[in-house]
Amino acid sequence: MLSMSSLMGTAALMVQSGDAKAAVEWAEHFQKNYRLMTAEEKAEARARLERRYSAEYGKQVSVDTTEAQPGVLMGYALNIRKCIGCRRCVKACVEENNQSRGNKPGERIEWIQVLRMERGEFSKDKMNHGYPEGLGIQVGGNAYTPAGAVLEGQYHYEPEAVPEKDATYMPIACMHCEKPPCVKVCPVRTTYRDPDGVVVIDYNWCIGCRMCMGACPYWARRINVANPVLPKEAMNPVTHYLGNRPRMRGVVEKCHWCLQRSRHSRYPACVEVCPVGARKFGNLLDPESEVSLILARKNVFRLKAELNTFPKFFYFYD
Amino acid sequence: MNKFAFHTMVLAFCCGVAAPVFAQDAQKKEEICFESRKGASEITKREIKPGLPNVKCSPKTGAALWYGDPFDGTVPMGKMPLLEKIPEGHAVIKPRSEKLAILPMCGTACHNGVGPAFNPPTLPKGKKPTPIPTMAGLLPGIENLQHGRGGIWCLDCHHTTKRDKLVDHFGDPVSFDQPQLLCGKCHGDKLRDWRDGIHGKRIGEFTSTGKKRWFVCTECHNPHDVQDGARNRGFIQLQPESPPQLPRGLKDAKHEKLHPIPH
Repeated sequence: MLSMSSLMGTAALMVQSGDAKAAVEWAEHFQKNYRLMTAEEKAEARARLERRYSAEYGKQVSVDTTEAQPGVLMGYALNIRKCIGCRRCVKACVEENNQSRGNKPGERIEWIQVLRMERGEFSKDKMNHGYPEGLGIQVGGNAYTPAGAVLEGQYHYEPEAVPEKDATYMPIACMHCEKPPCVKVCPVRTTYRDPDGVVVIDYNWCIGCRMCMGACPYWARRINVANPVLPKEAMNPVTHYLGNRPRMRGVVEKCHWCLQRSRHSRYPACVEVCPVGARKFGNLLDPESEVSLILARKNVFRLKAELNTFPKFFYFYD
Repeated sequence: MNKFAFHTMVLAFCCGVAAPVFAQDAQKKEEICFESRKGASEITKREIKPGLPNVKCSPKTGAALWYGDPFDGTVPMGKMPLLEKIPEGHAVIKPRSEKLAILPMCGTACHNGVGPAFNPPTLPKGKKPTPIPTMAGLLPGIENLQHGRGGIWCLDCHHTTKRDKLVDHFGDPVSFDQPQLLCGKCHGDKLRDWRDGIHGKRIGEFTSTGKKRWFVCTECHNPHDVQDGARNRGFIQLQPESPPQLPRGLKDAKHEKLHPIPH
């Protein structure tokens, strides 16, 4: 009985395959996990997607499939003292990476979050005054002028001008961990770490179970709960298969260090727009690169280092 | 004669009607956004390929948000000490002198090769210049120079006799396109970091030998009010971009401002 119904389903699909769109969908449904595809299958998938996106968005769209380059291990560094919280990186990321930008709930997706945190004050006379009553744990600053008491910071701050006097800003996005918890939990192995250090997602193979969203300690992953809203004129036609190609509903997405750019030696979009030059990107295997020099010379820390995720995203200060 | 006059009138009428339309069109098409800080360098939007602009501007703040072509309007940086290892033409900048509108006049109109006399001395005492109406008009608030905490004044950075140039340690003129040669004389640690790409901003290719556009000091810092107390961190305050979408069901983000500990 089961085989009968599946046969009928297959027959129905075969009948529809005269239609170009259905043929594309049929081929997409039955394609393999990107990592298991042969070079020919990748070329086929690429041609299919280019044809489909070009028709959909009314311009020549390219879908790159460049592999990780040997001798490259990408790394990122962010100067936490310089960041002024202007959110230009957030918007640049949206422009580059074809995120959904509608107005209804769940239709606007941004990969970078900028947290605004209060600055504490370590004054000498208050240093030994003990812990806050009833809390039992000191959360930063000291007991009487706590810093970072708003534990997760403010995401929705909107002052007239930034930087504000008593605030520190901390942008967070995917940390591209060496041991990524999201990769460990993915039941279909659609997300994985490429040899050049980037954690990527094959959107076609994602089942939208959101296990990775729960596992990520850096709140870096987003799901398309609604149909993505991507205006034709705003769509970026330079795309990568594992990068910024338009996503479908029900798949998870996140920062991929602008693979379509960085696999061709170009800086990611957020690095290029940061007005204060707080964002730095480079090859960790090249001792002359800016990230290597920062690691050698500056005070560096990694977010939640105690989790042993070994991020390739470093925060530093002068 | 009449016919000619009539035609002229028709032509004049058409031009009169058409001109504002064209002007409006031109205004609409010309989208200019500022790059690092307002007033330092601008970039004009145009298409480099069908459907692919050279830059995208923020509709909210007017800032450059995305570079399609990072080398738009750049020229080679010129000789820079300790940067000789960069391949020829791989370090480019956007010339600052093009942006400074009155610069060509400075060295000819008012300061035509004559500096202040040293004997008898006409230089101000205590590094506080006598306000000159023309200069004060060009740079409002310059009598309270916010740079160097009262320790420096105009001619520590501007050349005494060649007023369209800056001046380095040895009294040699420095182009306005290479302010790093001047700024580095006090801020040597920053110059070293800038040379290595740690301080400041570079766009283009990230490989250490790749082609990059370097942002020079004055594209991000205004040397005349870099130390304004309210501004924090040497950089002018900016209007931020819009915040992220609120979670479903929330009307505002007041919950973020609640402190678990009152203080």
